[in-house]
Amino acid sequence: MSRTISLHPFTILAVAVAVITVTTAASQWWLSCTVIGLCLLISGWAGDLKKLAVLSGAMLLPTFLSLLLIHGLISRDPAPAIAQWGPMRITVHGLEVALSLGLRTAVLVVVGLLCGLLIDKHQLVAAIDLSPVPPQLGYLLAATLFLLPQMGEKQHQIGEAQQLRKVGIGRGIIGWFQRVRLRAVPLVLASMQDAQDRAVHLSARGFPASGPRTRLRTVPDSSVQRGIRWAALVCAVLGPVLILAITLVGSQ
Amino acid sequence: MDRKLSEQSTAVLGMDLHSFTYLDNHAAVLHDIQLDVHPGSLTVIAGHSGSGKSTIGAILAGLLPRHGMDELIGSIKVDETQIEFSSSSTPRIDVAQWAKHVGLLPQDSGHYLSGIRGTVAEELAFCLENAGMPREQMLQRVNDLAQKLYLEHLLERHPQQLSGGQERLVALASLAMSEPDVLVLDEPLAGLDKRATQVVSAMIDLLRANGTALVVLVDSVGIWAEDADDLWRLNQGTLHRVSAAELLQRTAPSLHHRPVAIDAQILLELDTVQLSYPGSSGPAVRNVNLQLRAGECLGLAGANGSGKTTVLKAIAGLLKPNAGTLTLSGESGLLLQNSSDQLFERTVLREVSFGIPKKSSGRDRVPEVLAQLGLESYAQTHPYELPASARRLVALATVLIHEPQILLLDEPTEALDEAGEAVLQEVIASVLDRGGAVALSTHDETFMNRVTRRVIQIGQS
Repeated sequence: MSRTISLHPFTILAVAVAVITVTTAASQWWLSCTVIGLCLLISGWAGDLKKLAVLSGAMLLPTFLSLLLIHGLISRDPAPAIAQWGPMRITVHGLEVALSLGLRTAVLVVVGLLCGLLIDKHQLVAAIDLSPVPPQLGYLLAATLFLLPQMGEKQHQIGEAQQLRKVGIGRGIIGWFQRVRLRAVPLVLASMQDAQDRAVHLSARGFPASGPRTRLRTVPDSSVQRGIRWAALVCAVLGPVLILAITLVGSQ
Repeated sequence: MDRKLSEQSTAVLGMDLHSFTYLDNHAAVLHDIQLDVHPGSLTVIAGHSGSGKSTIGAILAGLLPRHGMDELIGSIKVDETQIEFSSSSTPRIDVAQWAKHVGLLPQDSGHYLSGIRGTVAEELAFCLENAGMPREQMLQRVNDLAQKLYLEHLLERHPQQLSGGQERLVALASLAMSEPDVLVLDEPLAGLDKRATQVVSAMIDLLRANGTALVVLVDSVGIWAEDADDLWRLNQGTLHRVSAAELLQRTAPSLHHRPVAIDAQILLELDTVQLSYPGSSGPAVRNVNLQLRAGECLGLAGANGSGKTTVLKAIAGLLKPNAGTLTLSGESGLLLQNSSDQLFERTVLREVSFGIPKKSSGRDRVPEVLAQLGLESYAQTHPYELPASARRLVALATVLIHEPQILLLDEPTEALDEAGEAVLQEVIASVLDRGGAVALSTHDETFMNRVTRRVIQIGQS
């Protein structure tokens, strides 16, 4: 059973943005590893460790491999090679670049995914609704978060109907492409029809609101959290600038 | 319930419609209609699919005419305000303001729900949130309504985890939240089992007792006849006042059941079958035993969620049993509950031909199947543009084109009008006559009794 975090969604997002910008600007392997380790610890506390590990692995493994290929194996770097197989050569510098870029990407991915797992989506939509942004933005986010799974279900139903007509039942990669092609058009048509059917009733229920709007759901907040958000945003903007300045001064 | 109203009570909604024409249509869909709706009254409008019921509903709810597109000539009076429409002027209607007086519940009640709220309580409060009502006041209104309509147990549930009946209750309550004077309900009981029908009917009675006027749009008048204050039949674009007796006496003849020979071939046999969906914690259906012989029509009964669809999907090969044996002799064909999921092409002709190799004999049968179902005139029409009943028949045509030995029908009467039901009955008879068999699930007991020889309960060991 996953634990939820009772922080305001904007607080989590602000801290995440600060961590990502500072870690990326610092570009220190130990800092990136510490951040990733902390994220894994937090996800373990929340009961989402397996989910975070699988999702991060699925996204980072191809990234690491491509970085290794570009900078580690077929690099044009003139540095002496540690090993060489024909045109492919491994250099220390190439490996360092691949690892550094990979770790920075890993921080972005792991922190981003952790945010997705920790933040209650309904709380996030409510927080956006209660903020002074246009109401359409909250709906757009909510529709993306909640209607996409419904589209997945619809796609499954279309697949079953096509299977009943002995269509789109091929195996392998060709079969997969055929299924995607056959399901795409009815899925888009059905989704457009669904959106059209919903739109008139949303209008009848007063959406989008012409005046100020309220929410039944409450999003807990406090002055401490507001302070953390401001501090995090300042860090996110000034942190990289400060790090760059220190690096420049150091190099001179 | 004795709730007949006197003619003197003031109408909360009045419509004097000379004609209504959709954009790009030359002929009027509706003409010469006069309708007055009184507080607490029940007005029932019956008509076959495509007769214009939904159009009337949309006009009453202010969704039609679309500004600058459709043409309405006549007037509508809501809450002492009379709005005149003519060929030269179509006033723009503020749908949100109109909905405070007249609300519409569509046939697919899921479309009324926003789909973006996490609890039923939030879904109920959606219109109040958009109106900017203070939270405390909103909470009070939600709790009061939930108490009045016996929905307290659902308030913290996720709207997408409700059963079909519960979803309709919540949509109806969401509609009632803005306290409109008139509720227009499109087929409010379609596809509901007996228990869900009772609960929704009780809620409708309650709303009526509180003074809300109801306009109900239905294919067949059924259980509404007794309580209706005004009973209308929509035919050829206009309303005709009718009596309950007149509407109820039109019953379709039963299927002539030929006796099934004891030694008739067994086409389908399920022996202690257990079925589960991938990723689910427990079996959806367990211990199903049934036998279906050539020439037999079998009914599957059971409450919403009892597993009737699951059994039909397993017979059609979409699910594999995880225990027991399922033996099938011959091809099966399944008509799914939601026709829209079964339609992919841009014309009816292409739709029915979909998946059939170009040079196979199946292609030659397409016109024949369309004729059998009375769909020849729709051959070049887009399936989405058809009335609901015809669309259902197109989905049936896509199954029949493969000449299945075992025809499987999941809630086949849903969205079908009387004429469509008659066609369906003929199709069932023709499958049985050619030595096939039919298994169907439906909550429509009248239809079930008319066509099936035997009914088995799903969800009971």
